[in-house]
Amino acid sequence: MAARKDDTPSVATYADHEVITPPHRLRMAVVPGAADGEDPIARAEAALAELATEFPNWMEAECERLEAARKQVRRDGFSDKTHDSLFRAAHDIKGEAATFGYPTVGAVAESLCRLLEHTPDITRIPMALVDQHVDAARAIVRETGQADLGAVVAALTRRLREVTDEFLRDENSERPDYLESIFAPALAAGSGGV
Amino acid sequence: MVRIDFNRLRFLVIDDNAHMRRILRTLLHGFGTRDVYEAEDGAGGLEAFTHYMPDIVLTDWVMPIFDGLELTQMIRQPGANANPYVPIIMVTGHSEKKRVVSARDGGITEFLTKPISAKALYERIVNVVANPRPFIKTKTYFGPDRRRNVNPNYAGPERRKGGKADVIRQQPLLDKAKVLS
Repeated sequence: MAARKDDTPSVATYADHEVITPPHRLRMAVVPGAADGEDPIARAEAALAELATEFPNWMEAECERLEAARKQVRRDGFSDKTHDSLFRAAHDIKGEAATFGYPTVGAVAESLCRLLEHTPDITRIPMALVDQHVDAARAIVRETGQADLGAVVAALTRRLREVTDEFLRDENSERPDYLESIFAPALAAGSGGV
Repeated sequence: MVRIDFNRLRFLVIDDNAHMRRILRTLLHGFGTRDVYEAEDGAGGLEAFTHYMPDIVLTDWVMPIFDGLELTQMIRQPGANANPYVPIIMVTGHSEKKRVVSARDGGITEFLTKPISAKALYERIVNVVANPRPFIKTKTYFGPDRRRNVNPNYAGPERRKGGKADVIRQQPLLDKAKVLS
């Protein structure tokens, strides 16, 4: 079958680059005019709210995975494999915990991710600091719902991050550019231009 | 103003975490999409992409076998598959500036930092559907135009030789990477 005219990208060729305008295949999904009926964002949020009854169990499962990865490090020491497992477990919690309703657990996991990712020699990662992160994450999940714990959890989370950052400053003292990059604002405003 | 008929869009969600896949699937169904395919690593994602030819790809970054950035680079090989122009939205726990820049230079279309919200995901999808950007091909890059706007204060040399390409004004990726909902 011959290609339709709108299936062919248009190409403008310059001295060192081409500008290609692909066919706008998704145009068929664009409906002009204002939305009629229910807001799709509200509908999606409602669907997610229905799923929320599962979140405590999911958070528990993620903590169990983190614990298993910690045990593996304890047993075998830090190797590429054990480091990777622990990082993946922490990284998943970092991304999910707030959605599950445990934002402070996400902050603890983020601090652990920094420790694991930015220590140049993984064999120098202090196990005690890893333990403190894992234990803190599990304790926060376990005690969620207890009254008057907000200040304690906030102080614990802040202190873990401070100790981690202090360690990373020491470990990366010979790499000022790298150090600067890991202490840069997480999402600096700037141009997306090349 | 536009709205999107999600029922006409097919998505591929690639994430090694089953919980996150379920969340993304739930949100997409909530928007009105019926067809959501899933894969749990980069290799499975590439296979599913070739098989299902989805309209939009949502991929995690950190995954076993090969990661979301490597997957993007494989999809963006001109001539390697039927649709190297497919919109790719990277949904990731990485939020550092250098990561956003790496993802952009790897050819992703949009970047969404976890934890995600329905609003942020919806906005990324609407943007790739309603405001597609041209692709740029150089010796070292093939992907969506990384120039989202014209910087009137830019004083350096024009790095694209042979004439200026059109620029479609869009919000810079770094500004969009995290949407406060």
